[in-house]
Amino acid sequence: MKLMHCPLNGPRNISEFQYGGVVKTMPDPVAGSDDAWRDYIVYEPNVAGPVLEWWCHLPTSYWFIAERDTVSDRIIRTMPAAEMFGATPAAGDET
Amino acid sequence: MIKLVPLPRRSPLHRRLDGLGAEWSFQGDAEVARHFGDPEGERTAAGRLALVDLSALPRGGYKGPAAIGWLAGLGALIGPEHNRAYPQADGSLIAKLAPTEAFILGPADGPADLLAAWEGAWNAEAADGAWPMPRRDSHCWFFLAGEAAPAMFAKLCAVDLRERAFPLHAVAQTSVARTNAILVSGEIGGHRGAHLLADSASADYLFGVFLDAMDEFDGRPAGLAAIGALG
Amino acid sequence: MSGTRLAAPFGSLIDRTRPLHFRFGARTLSGFAGDSAASALVGAGISVLSRSFKYHRPRGLFSMTAADANSLIAAGAEPNAFAEHVPLTEGASFRGQNYAGSLERDRFALMGLFGRFLPPGFYYRAFYRPAGAWKFWEPKIRAFAGLGTVDTNGPHGYFDKAYGWCEVAVVGAGPAGLAAALAAAEDGAEVILIDRNPVIGGSMRQRRGGVGAEPLERNGKAGTIHVMTGAHCLGLYDDNWLAVGQGKRLHKIRAGRVVVATGAEEQPLVFRNNDRPGIMTADTVSRLIRLYGVLPGRRAVVVTANDQGYGVALDLVEAGAVVAAIADLRLAPDDGPFRREARAAGIELLDGWTAYEGHGRARLGVVTLAGVTGRGRVDDSRRRVDCDLLAVSVAQVPRLHLLCHRGMRPVHDGSGHSFASGELPEGVGLAGAAAGRYSLDAATRDGLAVGAAARQAVAGGAAPEPERPAPDGALFNHPWPIFPHPRGKEFVDLDEDLTIADIRNTIAEGWRHAELVKRFSTVGMGPSQGRHSALATQRLIAEATGQTLDAVGATTWRPPALPEKFGLLAGRGFEPVRRTAMHDRHVEAGAVLMPAGLWLRPAHYGGSGDAAGAIAREAANVRGNVGLIDVSTLGKLEIRGADAAAFLERVYTFAYAKQPVGKSRYVLMTDRLGIIVDDGVACRMADNHFYVTATTGGVDGVYREMLRLNAEWRMRVDIANVTAAWAAINLAGPNSRRVLERVADGLDLSPAGFPYLAVREGHVAGIPCRLLRVGFVGELGYEIHCPSGLGETLWDALVEAGREEGIAPFGVEAQRLLRLEKGHIIVGQDTDGTTNPLEADMAWAIARKKDFFVGKHAIGLRSRAGLTRKLVGFRLPAGESRVPKECHLVIRDGQVAGRVTSAARSASLGHVIGLAYVPAEHAAPGVPFDIRVDQGAMLRAEVVPLPFYDPDNERQDS
Repeated sequence: MKLMHCPLNGPRNISEFQYGGVVKTMPDPVAGSDDAWRDYIVYEPNVAGPVLEWWCHLPTSYWFIAERDTVSDRIIRTMPAAEMFGATPAAGDET
Repeated sequence: MIKLVPLPRRSPLHRRLDGLGAEWSFQGDAEVARHFGDPEGERTAAGRLALVDLSALPRGGYKGPAAIGWLAGLGALIGPEHNRAYPQADGSLIAKLAPTEAFILGPADGPADLLAAWEGAWNAEAADGAWPMPRRDSHCWFFLAGEAAPAMFAKLCAVDLRERAFPLHAVAQTSVARTNAILVSGEIGGHRGAHLLADSASADYLFGVFLDAMDEFDGRPAGLAAIGALG
Repeated sequence: MSGTRLAAPFGSLIDRTRPLHFRFGARTLSGFAGDSAASALVGAGISVLSRSFKYHRPRGLFSMTAADANSLIAAGAEPNAFAEHVPLTEGASFRGQNYAGSLERDRFALMGLFGRFLPPGFYYRAFYRPAGAWKFWEPKIRAFAGLGTVDTNGPHGYFDKAYGWCEVAVVGAGPAGLAAALAAAEDGAEVILIDRNPVIGGSMRQRRGGVGAEPLERNGKAGTIHVMTGAHCLGLYDDNWLAVGQGKRLHKIRAGRVVVATGAEEQPLVFRNNDRPGIMTADTVSRLIRLYGVLPGRRAVVVTANDQGYGVALDLVEAGAVVAAIADLRLAPDDGPFRREARAAGIELLDGWTAYEGHGRARLGVVTLAGVTGRGRVDDSRRRVDCDLLAVSVAQVPRLHLLCHRGMRPVHDGSGHSFASGELPEGVGLAGAAAGRYSLDAATRDGLAVGAAARQAVAGGAAPEPERPAPDGALFNHPWPIFPHPRGKEFVDLDEDLTIADIRNTIAEGWRHAELVKRFSTVGMGPSQGRHSALATQRLIAEATGQTLDAVGATTWRPPALPEKFGLLAGRGFEPVRRTAMHDRHVEAGAVLMPAGLWLRPAHYGGSGDAAGAIAREAANVRGNVGLIDVSTLGKLEIRGADAAAFLERVYTFAYAKQPVGKSRYVLMTDRLGIIVDDGVACRMADNHFYVTATTGGVDGVYREMLRLNAEWRMRVDIANVTAAWAAINLAGPNSRRVLERVADGLDLSPAGFPYLAVREGHVAGIPCRLLRVGFVGELGYEIHCPSGLGETLWDALVEAGREEGIAPFGVEAQRLLRLEKGHIIVGQDTDGTTNPLEADMAWAIARKKDFFVGKHAIGLRSRAGLTRKLVGFRLPAGESRVPKECHLVIRDGQVAGRVTSAARSASLGHVIGLAYVPAEHAAPGVPFDIRVDQGAMLRAEVVPLPFYDPDNERQDS
């Protein structure tokens, strides 16, 4: 059982977490082309190496970002979503 | 916002406790099990391992970016760390679940004056970003007292709840027997133990899980009198 | 032979004052408290414990380390128990395994005569053609080649699991593990010491000259060491997570550091008939004598390649046995202390000799010794020696299984004598014999060094490389304890009955890597997992192919390290069940409960007798009178904050910015692919406050996804899941207003004062409530939400208020029928993992003017690509009594063209109605299509417009 460090709750068994997919940048709702949207909706980058991923600590429903190496399965670091997406206050984020 | 009127409040386990021989009494609007016919045995068990259902008692909560500041502005004593519980003057306990959320446990042994005062002070204009949470209904509330409680929890919960890892007023939000739970290290009437707050709809399931897990330690359900919460 | 029990001081684990009786097959035998089944059986003179896997050869105790299948017995109802791990209890019942008739005269033993017809790979070739043949042969083969049988009537056991935590976990409490635990705990670090034996001490307790009590006593003083005995470390996983089976409990332990001190496995000598009962490892002999006071033979031969073997010979003499000879594989052995002692005792020493052939039918009677000339070669000199015991001490292999679980690949130790650990996983230390330090002194010093390093690591200090003693494997391990015989039967793998010839034949087939040889020959696949066979196999491959040992590669060990009981895996299962506040009332009313997600909901009332009748009555009461249903399981979310409306605009397909306070509006959620994932109702309670419902099964996912989206969007909105905090009742039917009026304190319930889709807050029977005028079942109705703690009170008040009308509760089944008549879909029943809103004919729920909502662009792309299917309403002819089931197929021109998602007989309409996916070009009302139902019958259906019932909504809007 791997450990994952939740930015809100500290180290916990990975069974307390749910994977939420690779962090992707959404195309512009108005200006984004069909191709850009198709890529965003359908394609997964499937990178071998470090990737940024969404993870959720289920008992607190707390979402954060983890950097994980998909080859070694090593979790390199975790951080609050605010670090990537700015600090507009949202519940539970300002850790 | 709806304000509760004082209809008698019962635990979701009321019938089940009644079946175990609970003797009932009122504490404020809450109908609570005083004991189960064996006050002395329950007091002894409280030192070893006892399960006390506090679900009928008042509790509350506020959530949102302004929640902690709003409570502090009303005189609540809340420190900077989250996943910590902060005792209040009237015996209630504020568990700070996140920088933006407080879960308030009313006192087990007296009127919940502060909860009532804060509820009265809340209105949408004055408390923008500090939203009330219906914690008396969303969560059931157990207190597990006694020295065997950490060993019993070790069968249900992957977080270490022994004193060295989980000192007084520590808070852990985790999974207990596959149900999300908030654990608060606390004390009632001189009895150390853990408060457990979990989905109120799962109260019956959790009660059964606890009875099963307590068995090897000779643990048992106890009334509020066993932990000195009633006269 | 009859069993020989020794007097004290032999037998440190047994209590001679407490004799215990037990059965082995039909025989009643006795042993002592403290015995294992293995020691008690050997002590009672039982030499054959089981029959071998393939040839049904007699097998006896070979090791006492759970390292081979020989000692697998049935212990009571438990099959395949290692006899050495089963504590003896009064009245215990044991049986041998894998034989027909009796253990002594096994009818299947004739298989041995056909050995040359059973080469490796035989099964693959002989029984897999023609196709289906294996199905015929498998049960027959399994009857021959099996392990124990499961007693399906066996008693149930209570198995459970527990978590554990420590700073340092030490696996193995032999000299190295004990020393490591003591060193690790020196500054008060919390240490768990795990050992599978009933007592700690390991080889110190049985090895001659090894009983150093000092570390044991020191251990008693170290208060922070938690000792677990009889505990099997089954696996070592990521981030130092250990699975430890102990009795009927599986411990899952998280350790800061782990020290593996699991010792080494004594290896067999590979020679003809090396599997005869009476041939065992020297360590087994020592254990039987020292720990259990059992003398396993009267006249013994020891074959060795190290001084330890001479020590075992001395043990045997001391215990009263005759040692006929000590054969030493080494041509010119060093003169160690035990060897000098043995010579002084007058035992015949044969240097440069090996055991070459065992004789005897059910038990060893004679061994032929041969002179060794070189690697695996012997000359013509022979000695036949009468003996009933052959003790083997020629080589050891470190137990590295746990490290392999964490990804370590074993390498060769360089001297060519044994395996050694590859690079250690993070946070793990390796000490003692498992690290190639075999002597007591080296193992102890190694344990101290590695334990101290673990202590420093958990203290957070920069740990210097520990100063460790040099590996001393060359003193213990012979480089080639393999002696082929012209007539074969030299067993490399006792579990799988594989001989040297079998391995060589496999290599001749072209397999050159250890992993491939294993897969083809099955070597190492038995319960021993190659503990006895891996090294010998590797050597045979290297020899035959001219490769180096490292090039041959080692097989890896995977969890569990020891066979694991299913009970431990199943353990105490936790299956949460959620109950609504009104649960007891449903039970009292005879509800038949059904699961809905984790919840229990009434399917219908009135017991399980006449379900169809009950459902029809409940539905009719709603259509014609008034009913109430517990809808507390509906998901409920509070969306609050300045951006609440803007947030809903982004997560749902409809428009909410201009929704008035006091009104509700349908919500439909699609995912990024434009697929319907949930629906419900949004109530605007205030400008910055929406109360939103979601489906019972969907709310947790909806809530979590909303939080994820806002973790990215950073809007000023708070999202709270308050599902369990609110009980909810739908009061429905033409008389619902009249009933509610009796208990709704001061609420204006008139059609104008509280119209369809309006939302109100107020009191019902003194209970603070939120009231929604919504119409899932298509009648005048009120969804009343109240604090769940008062849910039962509200239920009682409404039942009382409607008594005069004959109000009755209705269940999920009646509600499903009623909503179907009204044409409302159920997400997850009428939609699947690819349904978009256009297919579900819900374009009306999409606000096209919005720039964005989740799924908008995917729906646009799909719309432009053209729809392939559509969800339509259908009806069957009035006389048709058969009702299609969910997933019955829509057939067009003989091809599958869609499927039914819902269907029911509608009493209100007088015929069968349903929803089905049909091809988009055949979705117009009036188009006929066929449905294939049970037994292949075809029903002719016709597309009809939705809703089936009250198309002008006069009833729900009234």
